[in-house]
Amino acid sequence: MPGVRVVGTTIACESTVEADIESGIDGALNDIIAALTKPLTQEEKSPQVKTEKAPRIAFKGTYQDVNQFFYRKGWGDGLPIVPPTEAAVAEMMTGTDLPANHMVAKLIPRGGKATVEKIAVNAVMAGALPTHMPLILAAVDALADPATRFDTFEVSTGSWAPFFLINGPIRNEIHINSSSGALSPGNIANSAIGRAVGLIVKNIGGARKGVEDMGTLGNPGKYSLVLGENEEESPWDPYHVGKGYKKEDNTLTVFFPNRYTMTVPPETNAEGLAKSLARMRPGALSALIVIPDHAKIFKSESWTKQQVKDFVIKQSSSPTAGGIMGSNARRGRGLQNEDFMLVVAGGPGVWQGLLQSAGGFKNSFVTRKINLPKNWDKLVAKYKNLVPNYVRY
Amino acid sequence: MYRLLSVAALVAFAILAVHAPFETAVAKDASEYQYEVLSPWAEVDPIPLRGISARLNSMEGKKIGLFANFKRSAVPQANMVEKKLKTKFPTIQTSLFHLREANVTATETPEKDKFTEWVKSVDAVVAMVGD
Repeated sequence: MPGVRVVGTTIACESTVEADIESGIDGALNDIIAALTKPLTQEEKSPQVKTEKAPRIAFKGTYQDVNQFFYRKGWGDGLPIVPPTEAAVAEMMTGTDLPANHMVAKLIPRGGKATVEKIAVNAVMAGALPTHMPLILAAVDALADPATRFDTFEVSTGSWAPFFLINGPIRNEIHINSSSGALSPGNIANSAIGRAVGLIVKNIGGARKGVEDMGTLGNPGKYSLVLGENEEESPWDPYHVGKGYKKEDNTLTVFFPNRYTMTVPPETNAEGLAKSLARMRPGALSALIVIPDHAKIFKSESWTKQQVKDFVIKQSSSPTAGGIMGSNARRGRGLQNEDFMLVVAGGPGVWQGLLQSAGGFKNSFVTRKINLPKNWDKLVAKYKNLVPNYVRY
Repeated sequence: MYRLLSVAALVAFAILAVHAPFETAVAKDASEYQYEVLSPWAEVDPIPLRGISARLNSMEGKKIGLFANFKRSAVPQANMVEKKLKTKFPTIQTSLFHLREANVTATETPEKDKFTEWVKSVDAVVAMVGD
């Protein structure tokens, strides 16, 4: 806020220690009085608008030089980047029919224009493929939806990371992992899509760590949290069908968790699994992750997905339940159906998972349909064999 | 003679080998390749600015508004500011506005009118905001 007189204090925003508060205010009092009474400067009376125009070509140098230049500029995320040359960016933009100067959104906090070209530059840096562009574009569009409360979560001390759930046939076309280790590193799609969004938030939105992004502890999920729902091994309708999409539609759904936990259910009959899910204390908003083996157990005992959710809701009826910051209490009510999603993902094993965000900020899950370019089939064919082949030993 | 010529040839070869450039006319080391790269930093539209409100000529007899956002420490800090200001300037009055809703401006909430009236009723505002 240019021109507004700001007086910093040493008091933590959540502090309840009166001695600290008194000491902090004592230290700031003279500055507060000066801010109220000292006459305005000319700049404060008539602040000048500063325009900025970044050069299109940022740098020329060797691979190492480019990486060090970008890192020093604060444009990286700590990992090596793929140099975004004209050719690489042009290739990335074959993943969309939108023109290079089409603006998908303006991103907070600086209102940076997320044009297709700027998105593509960051996507190249992240190591994404052109087949990832439709999802990255959908992700940027979703972030700009006020219902995500991206404006709250991206810069908060809470270090909330965007989580993207992918549904539809695109998962298999571009090898989005929805099975074993789906949330671990190792798959280009899961890794690069999330990473691209992280770079976009930083370089287009301007949310710089320690400057605008004031995450106290940080969150490794900010590198990437992208999960395909394991629709093939689920006995239930996938998430996007429950939201009114057709099974053959491709969708991306986002919310902002900052807690990821897993548990082993003590009992593996249907009720035991449901109790274990409830004991993880999902609040608004959450994603409960059920592995295919457990989904089949539910199905074999005739539990629908909704029945599982209803059981969890009933077990979580206390308004003080609900994980982070008493999310349910903040909303003034107990856990409700729209507060959490239940998705099937993961591989063989026994673990259940929970990704948890905060609620009470008028936020909700936001879903976007993924739009594909006309040359989609050719693009998919070009990259379909880019899969890991582990050496046997 | 023949042996002398062979030795001379070997010596000549050795000298040339030592002084020949390591880089040949064949492709240079890949690390030398120069990448011309585009900037990932986005443009922004200029934000229209306006000047801030005029300041108080003095604190005496003024009504100071204390605005507290939803953070846990905001109201305690506002109360402390009130206490300290009143100790220093016994003639001032204070008025607290506590915005309980998270991460929104007061004018976006149902309390918009109440907030507007409160702003008009005070001479200056000290806002406790933070995260």
